[in-house]
Amino acid sequence: MNNTAKMIIVLTIITGLSGGILSSWDNITKPKIEYHRLQALKAAISEVLPQYDYYDELEAEGTTLYVGRIEDQNEPVGIAFTTQGSGFQGNISMMVGVDPSFNAITGLKVLEQVETPGLGTKIVTDPSNKSNPLWFPEQFVGVNLFPAITVVKNIKPSTKNEIQAISGATITSKAVVDIVNGNISRIKNLYQSTD
Amino acid sequence: MAKKKTSLYREFVKGLWDDNPVLRMLLGLCPALAVTNSAINGLAMGMATTFVLLSSSIIISLLRKVIPHQVRIAGYIVIIATFVTVADKFLAAFLPEISKSLGPYVPLIVVNCLILGRQEAFSSKNNVGRSILDALGMGTGFIFVLVVLGGIREILGSATLFNLQILGDWFNPWMIMILPPGAFLTLGILIGLGNWLNERKVKV
Amino acid sequence: MSEIEENKPKPEPKPVEKKKPDPRKKLAKPDKMLILNSSPHLHTTKSVKSIMWSVVIALFPAMAMAIYYFGLPAVWMILTCVAAALGAEIIMNLMKGEKITIIDGSAIITGILLALTLPPSFRLTSAALGSIVAITLGKHIFGGLGYNIFNPALLGRAFLQASFPVAMTTWSNPITPKFENTDAISTATPLGSFKFEKIFTDYSDMLIGNIGGSLGETSAIAVLIGGIFLLILKNADWRIPVSILVTVTIFGSIFWMLNPAQYPDPLFHILSGGLLFGAFFMATDMVTSPITTKGAWIFGIGIGILVVIIRLFGGLPEGVMYSILLMNGATPLINRYTRPRIFGESKK
Repeated sequence: MNNTAKMIIVLTIITGLSGGILSSWDNITKPKIEYHRLQALKAAISEVLPQYDYYDELEAEGTTLYVGRIEDQNEPVGIAFTTQGSGFQGNISMMVGVDPSFNAITGLKVLEQVETPGLGTKIVTDPSNKSNPLWFPEQFVGVNLFPAITVVKNIKPSTKNEIQAISGATITSKAVVDIVNGNISRIKNLYQSTD
Repeated sequence: MAKKKTSLYREFVKGLWDDNPVLRMLLGLCPALAVTNSAINGLAMGMATTFVLLSSSIIISLLRKVIPHQVRIAGYIVIIATFVTVADKFLAAFLPEISKSLGPYVPLIVVNCLILGRQEAFSSKNNVGRSILDALGMGTGFIFVLVVLGGIREILGSATLFNLQILGDWFNPWMIMILPPGAFLTLGILIGLGNWLNERKVKV
Repeated sequence: MSEIEENKPKPEPKPVEKKKPDPRKKLAKPDKMLILNSSPHLHTTKSVKSIMWSVVIALFPAMAMAIYYFGLPAVWMILTCVAAALGAEIIMNLMKGEKITIIDGSAIITGILLALTLPPSFRLTSAALGSIVAITLGKHIFGGLGYNIFNPALLGRAFLQASFPVAMTTWSNPITPKFENTDAISTATPLGSFKFEKIFTDYSDMLIGNIGGSLGETSAIAVLIGGIFLLILKNADWRIPVSILVTVTIFGSIFWMLNPAQYPDPLFHILSGGLLFGAFFMATDMVTSPITTKGAWIFGIGIGILVVIIRLFGGLPEGVMYSILLMNGATPLINRYTRPRIFGESKK
């Protein structure tokens, strides 16, 4: 067998086998991966919305709205959506829940972020606050959406649309608020036009 | 093939210290620096790398007389990439938390020079038994360094080890340790310490 | 110095007399002996020890103001940092098996400089950690005094900044009779309040130091007195602080004139933050600044530009530390490109 032919044959066999192994492995793992993704999504939605029995998915202009409903009730309990924007170092993506009339936030959970560990990551959990590590995301519960949410430093929020910044991570805190502020009107229009 | 005379025990044990991939050969530094902000991440990364190293060593050692010399690197990379993808999917399917915290560094095992280096330097020239021992030794040495590195960084940077609180509230975590500079500092000190120990061993 | 070496490439065995035409001698004036020896050519009575102790003296006004404004915590902070620095120095000396070098004063200076750049309410244990890092990783890892690339005190501070970012940016008000409430109230530095809230601080307060900030940097006057003392003794290269301050003034003025509401005026730049302290005491560190005069200008201008850029456009309110560290890193390069040409060497 000449050398060139051998090279081609050997490489073809190796790549062919590799492709075969990978596609069968993909078939085995795909349902599991999808299951985990869905579980994470459900967990996030249930965290940001009040108690609901089931949720509908509304697709509009590439955005998915998750409308939480209770059996036999016409009015939904809230609308959840994922939104993202740039933080201090990279993208922050989060799940936000609002009441059906878009007055106030019912919950906020950061899904993905690459902020500074120990500072910006406090938007997810704050291990230094032993009594309530989730104080930052929980601040958003009940906060009014209009007029726009503002950030305050070092003092407790005094009005219904203020959020206290994480000390040392003002920029990240502001980024989270800005992402909410920047996308809420669009989401509101989307929801009201599809409803 | 002159190496044939080394004992099988030696093939395994050399990766632990004398030819330790990270401390002595400075291979595989990207994962060693990037994901070792906690001991558990270091362990997971080390295991994933060892799995890929072991599997590809076996295959490549078996195929060492079949793969033509000119295309060996291409062949090795395909084999390595296959196992990396298997490991990546496995983590995503069964250990989603770890998969999330390791992020893009699992796929990046493909370009870990430790693995390709061992194939080129060892598996392609030795029989399967020796290749397995070599891969296990190198892998264990790699896991050892990653866990130590991750452990030190986790203790100093988060006051925990394997997510268990081990330092009290009196300790102010050094944030720098879980940031990239902490990885460089700790690795540098570990390598320095390794050299220092080796020097003493030679003198004695 | 007195040695006359004929540094010829190959000392040939046959006696080469001066009369023999040497091609290199054409360049020199005739009848003059060409002396070639390696630098340094000029010797001085100054020693590392005398320079270092003069810096300690120069730091007295700043230390006095720190203690006046921030009270006992300032004393403890300085003592802790110095003690930790000396301890680390001794341990590193012992580990390397060399003579104990604490008497040269460099470790004491590192300790004092670090203490003066820390916030008044900073934890003492963390401050000691910074001191140890400054001496071990900042100096001895590179081979000891004279071999370090980065200013040890600033390296220690950068380590602390990255390790304890919240504590490093929590400032307390100076304790003076002016303030009724003597509890440590958290406050902002003039730079911080300008950057985030666009509030100006009174210049007279900034001049005497009645503002929030690191221990030693608040009082512009005290820093100036010490700095000028250093310059008079010629223990610091005057070109470095002058070029830094001039650059910050010019560069800051450009932005201020473009938009006075958005950018602070140059005087504010100079009086606020650690600029004066950094310019006089940190940037002038002989080990980590360029050795040539041209290099000193480049070094200072570089720091000035970086300071203004970080202050105006960076995420942090203050950028003196990082500017100096960055230019420390560029120093070997500056030295290389500003090396005076050897006599007769052709310009490229």
